[in-house]
Amino acid sequence: MRVAWRGAEFRLLLPILLLVPFGFLVTNIAIAGTADVGDLTLAIGYVALFAGAHLLLVAFGHRGDQLILPAVGAMGGVGIIMLNRLPQDLAGTSAFGLELGMAATQLLWFGVGIVAMLAIAVGLRDDGILRHYKYSWAAIGIALLAATLVLGYEVNGARLWIDLGPVSVQPGELLKIVLVIFIAGYLAETRTLLTSARMRIGFISIPPLPYFLPMLGLFGAVMLIVVRLNDLGTALLFFGIFLTMLFVATGRRSYVLIGLVLFVAGSFVVYRLFGHVQARVDIWLDPFADPLGAGFQPVRALYALGRGGIFGEGLGQGLVTLAGNLTIPFVHTDFIFTAVAEELGLLGAFALLGFAMVLVFRGLRIAALARDDFGALLAVGLTTSLGLQTLIIVGGNTKLIPLTGITLPFVSYGGSSVLASFIMIGLLLAVSHRSGTADRASGS
Amino acid sequence: MIATNVRRLGVYLMLAFAVVSGSIAWWQVVEAQGLSTRADNPEVIAARRSLPRGTIFDADGQVLASSEVIDGLSRRTYADPAFTHVIGYASLRFGSTGLERTFEDILVGQTDPNPIRDLVNDVLARQPQPRDLTLTIDRRLQDFAAEQLGADAGSVVALDPQTGAVLVMVSTPTFDATPISGDPGVAQEPMDALRNDPAEPLLARARQGLYVPGSVMKVFTAAAALDAGAITAETTFPDQQREEREGFVVDGFTIQEHDLGGIEPGIWPLSEALQVSSNIFFAHVGLAIGAETFLDYARRFGFCDPIRIGGQDRGLSVSPSLVTGSVDGDCGPFGDDVELASASFGQGQTAVTPVQMALVAAAIAGDGVMPAPYVVRDVRAHADGDAPSDDVLDTLGSGGGTRVVSAEAAAATRAAMVDAVNGELGRIYAGQGDITLYGISNARSAGKTGTAQLGGEQAPHSWFVGFAPAQDGATPRIAIAVLVERGGSGSAGAAPIAGRVMAEWLRLSEGG
Repeated sequence: MRVAWRGAEFRLLLPILLLVPFGFLVTNIAIAGTADVGDLTLAIGYVALFAGAHLLLVAFGHRGDQLILPAVGAMGGVGIIMLNRLPQDLAGTSAFGLELGMAATQLLWFGVGIVAMLAIAVGLRDDGILRHYKYSWAAIGIALLAATLVLGYEVNGARLWIDLGPVSVQPGELLKIVLVIFIAGYLAETRTLLTSARMRIGFISIPPLPYFLPMLGLFGAVMLIVVRLNDLGTALLFFGIFLTMLFVATGRRSYVLIGLVLFVAGSFVVYRLFGHVQARVDIWLDPFADPLGAGFQPVRALYALGRGGIFGEGLGQGLVTLAGNLTIPFVHTDFIFTAVAEELGLLGAFALLGFAMVLVFRGLRIAALARDDFGALLAVGLTTSLGLQTLIIVGGNTKLIPLTGITLPFVSYGGSSVLASFIMIGLLLAVSHRSGTADRASGS
Repeated sequence: MIATNVRRLGVYLMLAFAVVSGSIAWWQVVEAQGLSTRADNPEVIAARRSLPRGTIFDADGQVLASSEVIDGLSRRTYADPAFTHVIGYASLRFGSTGLERTFEDILVGQTDPNPIRDLVNDVLARQPQPRDLTLTIDRRLQDFAAEQLGADAGSVVALDPQTGAVLVMVSTPTFDATPISGDPGVAQEPMDALRNDPAEPLLARARQGLYVPGSVMKVFTAAAALDAGAITAETTFPDQQREEREGFVVDGFTIQEHDLGGIEPGIWPLSEALQVSSNIFFAHVGLAIGAETFLDYARRFGFCDPIRIGGQDRGLSVSPSLVTGSVDGDCGPFGDDVELASASFGQGQTAVTPVQMALVAAAIAGDGVMPAPYVVRDVRAHADGDAPSDDVLDTLGSGGGTRVVSAEAAAATRAAMVDAVNGELGRIYAGQGDITLYGISNARSAGKTGTAQLGGEQAPHSWFVGFAPAQDGATPRIAIAVLVERGGSGSAGAAPIAGRVMAEWLRLSEGG
């Protein structure tokens, strides 16, 4: 192992990390209403985490992509500033004799996540363990889901959580990664067969079904369970990831088209069968029909967007609470993007979306430059997951699509989500390292 | 191969991000203003709950609505129930109506009437400052008109025909809005009582009541026919005398004259026909105009369209008046000539608001120019006490008028309306609208009564439209429409109210 300077990463991280304590400063002053600097401990902790991650990557001579970490740092920075500025009793932990508020808990998970990311980015020298044991991974995934089904408890009508003493975890977040690894492994192996082989029924040539079966079987089982858990956002996300990976592996738009038709048909059936889905769609179509009842949350979120306008109300100056109540319920998870858009305006919202786009397009670059098919498909799956999550939740915030309880990666509050997102970044960096893309990226 | 597909995927994702970006911009740019002023917006509600609202003054500087903040909650007090259907209410429980709604953002100070100051306030994140409103209505005249209606259901609407300033807009029965705008804890009961009251006190009859106009519609028909050249002031219909007795057959349907009392039927020109209010004459006139042209003039006079008193954005809305049976409210075609002939004397499928008929009177009084009505005269800085501030931030008002008929057509209609009140035959019907009966010696009034038949045993609606002063050379200062629901004949119910209100305004405005 040889030290390799990561100049681009350093130059991008530096201003981003300096802006985080500044953001804390501004919000502290705005909320207190006095020229009091307030508590910057968490901001400094945040800077230290990313600085440490950068230095360790340098020390280990990591040659992975250098724009990924700054993009994550920027998204997480916006997130931690917003979470620190919201009421701290919205969430938190009391573990190991510590009473941690929401932002502190989130920072703790950032620490855990960054450690996991570094371990994978640096430690995963050979992807054989991922590729060869893909059915084991699939089994782990199924086990995770089954555990949720049996042990899980409900939050907001969806049974997603398992209580593990001091922390509650959402197995669905980790399942996402396991599923991507399995599909990447399977597609890498059978991709040639899937694209070339043909089955004929009379004169009609159709895709070679037997090759699809293991994957479709597993995928179907997962989707069924996810729908059973009443987690429609995750179902949509899984479906999107699956179709995207299939498209990249085979290059066939027809597969995507068939998938979309199936999805629309399935959605319609689900819509007709389940009252709560109908209710949700109705709220989506016209939240103003019942602004104080069912449409309360989306209507309040739209008002927040309206208050923000182009330039925003200013950091720390949004209307977060009104007479002691949150103006938007679940602002720290489902509507964190709206909170950012309220305080930083359209410009800030675009900037945040821009960071996500950097992440996505660097991820795709890693896929395009990957040394082998498995690495490429893995990178595509992970990137798509991060990208689709962003699109689904932001689109849900702006009433473009029905709202689902998906997190905005690195911005929404939530330990499982943060940990899973960092694991995905670690995998992306590992793929990138093996193809040595850093050499090409540092030319900028 | 995979790399190519990844690049394609990149394009698709780029498009998806573009669509999502567009959806953010939609709410933060296109819809931002609309969202921020919606009455159920928590910020608006919060401001309304905790900030004092601006005071509303009458034209003379009398307080009509004021706020005080008690226990952090803003409560509204209204001085005069006669204004309830103009000002509306601002309730913490039931939202707001009337001017309280259309001027909500200005009253609580979220919008500055000056767009540049508004932007500066926004950028500096200044605390909202409440603003006061001054109405064009003088409380003395409004109260006087309300007293004349007394316990009857009905409406009085009066305008300055030169400027469009609303001088009176009364709807009865009315109610005191203070109990539902005060403590939200005890507001439900009085509101329930109002909602369940069969007299419908919540209905702003002046703007929302649709009534068969009866003969007051003949003023419109006359003006339209004169302007279109369908008749002159001298035109007569040779068969009229016979038809007065036997009926006028249109498309196989016989139109009958109303009871002329002791008057001997004749072959009358416009003035006499308006004086005795001949249905046969105006049926002929309507058919002479023709359906298309009749509807064109109706649209010109504002029928069929929602009218806004005070402009598009902050105007009080007035229900569209109807002249045909077409339900789309767009002056759709007449079903047949009988419907056209009936509409010409204000029966058939016609249904109008008192505001619309006041505008018709104002158009004749204004030499053929129909004024744009408005009821808020200016926006001022918030007054500390009971006297309005001198700091006028914005003067609203006359958006000019629209010429609906020529000055000549208006003059001939006006002459006939003067005769209808003062002429030998007219006095029998509309004489009670003569202002000289109510202490005005140096001026004359013009007008037309209406007795709107409702069918069956129901007593007719009583109407009067008119203006004063109306003698040759005088410039009318008030145009009026009076409606008394089931008030009987126009001469008995509405005409004396109109005469008294016009006389009262000439006295008040003369005296300063």
